[in-house]
Amino acid sequence: MNEQVNAPKKFIVPIGPQHPALKEPGHFEFTVDGEIVTGASVRLGYVHRGIEKGCEQRSWIQDIYLLERICGICSHSHATAFVLGVEKLAKVTVPPRAQAIRTLFLELERIHSHFLWLGVAAHEGGFDTLFMYSWRDRETVMDILENLSGNRVNYSANVLGGVKYDVDEKQADEIRKGIDFLEERAHYYLNVVTTDETFLGRTRHIGLMSLEQAVTLDAIGPTARASGLARDVRVDAPYAAYVDFPVKLVTDDRCDLVGRFVVRINELFESYRLIREILDHLPAGDLTTKCPRRIPEGETISRVEAPRGELFYFLKSNGSDKPERVKVRTPSLCNWASVINLAVGHNLADIPMILAGIDPCFSCNDRSVTIRNPGGSQVWSWEELRRYGIEHYK
Amino acid sequence: MDINESFAKAEQILAPWTGVATHPAPDRMDVVIPAKSLVEAVTALVEAKWGYLSAITGLDHPGSTEPASEALRWQRLTEEIEAPSDEESREGTLEALYHFCEGAAILTLRVRVRYTSSALPTICNIQPAATLYEREIMELFGVTIVGTPNSERLLLSDDWPEGVYPLRKSFTSLKELDVVKGKETK
Repeated sequence: MNEQVNAPKKFIVPIGPQHPALKEPGHFEFTVDGEIVTGASVRLGYVHRGIEKGCEQRSWIQDIYLLERICGICSHSHATAFVLGVEKLAKVTVPPRAQAIRTLFLELERIHSHFLWLGVAAHEGGFDTLFMYSWRDRETVMDILENLSGNRVNYSANVLGGVKYDVDEKQADEIRKGIDFLEERAHYYLNVVTTDETFLGRTRHIGLMSLEQAVTLDAIGPTARASGLARDVRVDAPYAAYVDFPVKLVTDDRCDLVGRFVVRINELFESYRLIREILDHLPAGDLTTKCPRRIPEGETISRVEAPRGELFYFLKSNGSDKPERVKVRTPSLCNWASVINLAVGHNLADIPMILAGIDPCFSCNDRSVTIRNPGGSQVWSWEELRRYGIEHYK
Repeated sequence: MDINESFAKAEQILAPWTGVATHPAPDRMDVVIPAKSLVEAVTALVEAKWGYLSAITGLDHPGSTEPASEALRWQRLTEEIEAPSDEESREGTLEALYHFCEGAAILTLRVRVRYTSSALPTICNIQPAATLYEREIMELFGVTIVGTPNSERLLLSDDWPEGVYPLRKSFTSLKELDVVKGKETK
């Protein structure tokens, strides 16, 4: 009995997993000592759809569409990683124009993803004006994508051996116009996130991850680059048209949430530059080349820098028209480890921002939060935790 | 760093355990190592700061009448076990692929275990970020990772039956599983 009384009180705050509106739910349990987080764990899989298994039962062509639906935000990255791998196995050389258009889509997708993230992260911190502004601006790039492919999210631009959509001069001009507007907006946002005192109050020195930690925790993508870790597949192992249109690596050494904002916004400028360059020097030629239905036996690895970091595909073919194995490792999976570790030592109030900071295919809004304690339980929604965070910093 | 430099360095690091090293593609190097040397090999890589662990892929090689693969034969040889018997090759094996990336170079450590003795040591002590990958392969392939810090369910639902590993080739659907079970009980 005594032991129970004297035992340090351990509160576990479970967050998640239910959410009716956003995709990809996850469940976190944060152990807290008063306000301070002392431990964290993660449980995923609420939207485990068995896509890897599903791929083994469908043809190589059907799999493009299946894999594109892993994620609604980086759909084109998934399809590109897959088709690049299959083309390697089939030893098919894709026309340069197709590679350039793939890259164009990849960069447009990065812009839409980063603007989306900027809005979500701002919302978590209680900066709803910034959220509304950035999502309004994001519509510009969504319109461009819709104009190019007819779709806002799952563009289905890739086919085995090339792309479906061409870009004509008129469309190119519209893209340029949109990009000019977005560039101006990105300058504005960069200014806001680095100078606004209230914003910095929620981000400066929060979620610190040193370079050494980033290395140990295997962080990737903008999360790693915000800690000065120079890791970007586009630079390290250029694929598609990144050989002809090289990317300048964007890093930041702030190591905190501010750094994660700055890195992503600076990446936008790099994407704008790339898109203009691709449009100005779009190689002439075919959009597709013939690719066999049966893919020769073999194994291959294909890596793509998705907006959130390195996307890893392992493909194995047994020589038939269906893959033997498709392994997908998404960037968010790598970065969960950093959240789990970074959360420790922070205020519970900082959790929404730290979670948002890695840009997990974000799904944590408005979840049910239960504070368990020996005297019964108190139920919070994610919204309440978010408000609690905002109040805490008022 | 240049790809060839990276691979030369990796070969040097892994020399004590390397029997078969192949380059299936210019940017890849595959090294087959025995399961018991996995921790030592990973430790050597991490201590030498060779790249980072990018992913762990599981592969199922269901038992068949086909002859055991070269890799398996070699592994048996290094473990000083006799070449696989017919019964063993019928049983099937699971393979875990540990992918390390450094720049454009991808190094894969390939480890094989049998269905009935599917134990692999954890590498979380050396590479903490491996925990989620290890949990994934445990759940989906039924590889037992000995000593992994958290072996709770990561992906499959709470009511998923124990001992059913969806990424094994033998798994087709839960429905069919019920039918088979139903027959068994009858």
